[in-house]
Amino acid sequence: MANLKEVRDRIASVQNTEQITKAMKMVAASKLRRAQQAITQMRPYTNKLNEMLRNILSNLGGDANTSFGVERPVHSACMVVITSDRGLCGAFNANILKAAVAKIESDYADVRANGKLSILCIGKKSYDFFKKNYADCKILNDFVDLFHDLSYDNVARVSNKLMTAFEDGSYDSLSVAYSRFKNPAVQIPEVEQFLPVAKMEAGEEKKSGMLADYVFEPDKDELLEQLIPNIIRAQFHKFMLDTHASEHGARMTAMDAATENAKDLIKELKLQYNKARQEAITNQILEIVGGAAALENG
Amino acid sequence: MILSVLTPEKQVFEGEVLSVKVPGALGQFQVLKGHAPLVSSLKEGRVFITIVNGGYQLHDEASGEMQKVEEPRDINFSVKGGFIEVINDKISLLASGVDDIVQS
Repeated sequence: MANLKEVRDRIASVQNTEQITKAMKMVAASKLRRAQQAITQMRPYTNKLNEMLRNILSNLGGDANTSFGVERPVHSACMVVITSDRGLCGAFNANILKAAVAKIESDYADVRANGKLSILCIGKKSYDFFKKNYADCKILNDFVDLFHDLSYDNVARVSNKLMTAFEDGSYDSLSVAYSRFKNPAVQIPEVEQFLPVAKMEAGEEKKSGMLADYVFEPDKDELLEQLIPNIIRAQFHKFMLDTHASEHGARMTAMDAATENAKDLIKELKLQYNKARQEAITNQILEIVGGAAALENG
Repeated sequence: MILSVLTPEKQVFEGEVLSVKVPGALGQFQVLKGHAPLVSSLKEGRVFITIVNGGYQLHDEASGEMQKVEEPRDINFSVKGGFIEVINDKISLLASGVDDIVQS
């Protein structure tokens, strides 16, 4: 009989868990929708910005000489690691951290050995991880809670700071580990070089011969100087938005799996419960029948 | 002329306009039909849009979506900075910090 009660309690507890995971999945789904919308709404802006850049570059007939594209020998570096604040989203954070660690162990190994590697943590999970495992590096935690406010201006504070640090020579190389959002079920952990920026190419306009004779105001070089920081800021903002959407996608998938799992478990426990119940009834009947038989015989 | 006003966070305006007056880096200027291809940076200031007839779309703060406005009204708003591109009577205004939208 004790067995029966035990199984009943377990069913109740698993049912509770199922309810929680189901609710979390629903919350993640609605947050994901908003995060995805932010990405789509940003796209026209970045597309146009890049188009302008290509236009100017093809009119310049060469590549841009920007202070953000200068390749220096890497004496000091900064690794920016963007993870979520919370867990319960499967291997999401672990994957980003793994990618970041791989980059540190390979490209930044020398810098780290010289004690010149800084790690800028965004998201509580990355801060917890690096504080514990990378005590020899400089861990920057000024922006750990950046996810609390994802407005463009707020995120721009970080990219502005990084750009200044690159320009004044505090860092010779900056990389960002984040999660690229492909679709709600697929998140790709990636490490991208943030600064110096990759060489900017003029692109297809040149080939197509559709080169418009633009008037540039104030002039091309000055325009570029203003355009490029904007593009860098937009890129960093996209890293944040992508990771944000990925987090909710990953949590949705993880919670969906957990709910399914709970359902299976409940099914199995119910079967066990019914078996135990049937057994108890059979035992009782046997006792009664046995007792009756004993009386008759007596 | 078709004008589209974009910020990093959303599209603010899209529609047919008669003229746009912007605070260019070298001073305020106005873009009318048939303007030569132009790329210019903008400084802080106000943007004035004159609308020919209705049917433009304006971002609605409450719903977070673009809303169609039928009656022609002139619009002005402030920007913190940005860029404008004009080509073939298509104007793209990339602005940061679009604020204080006034319709009159």
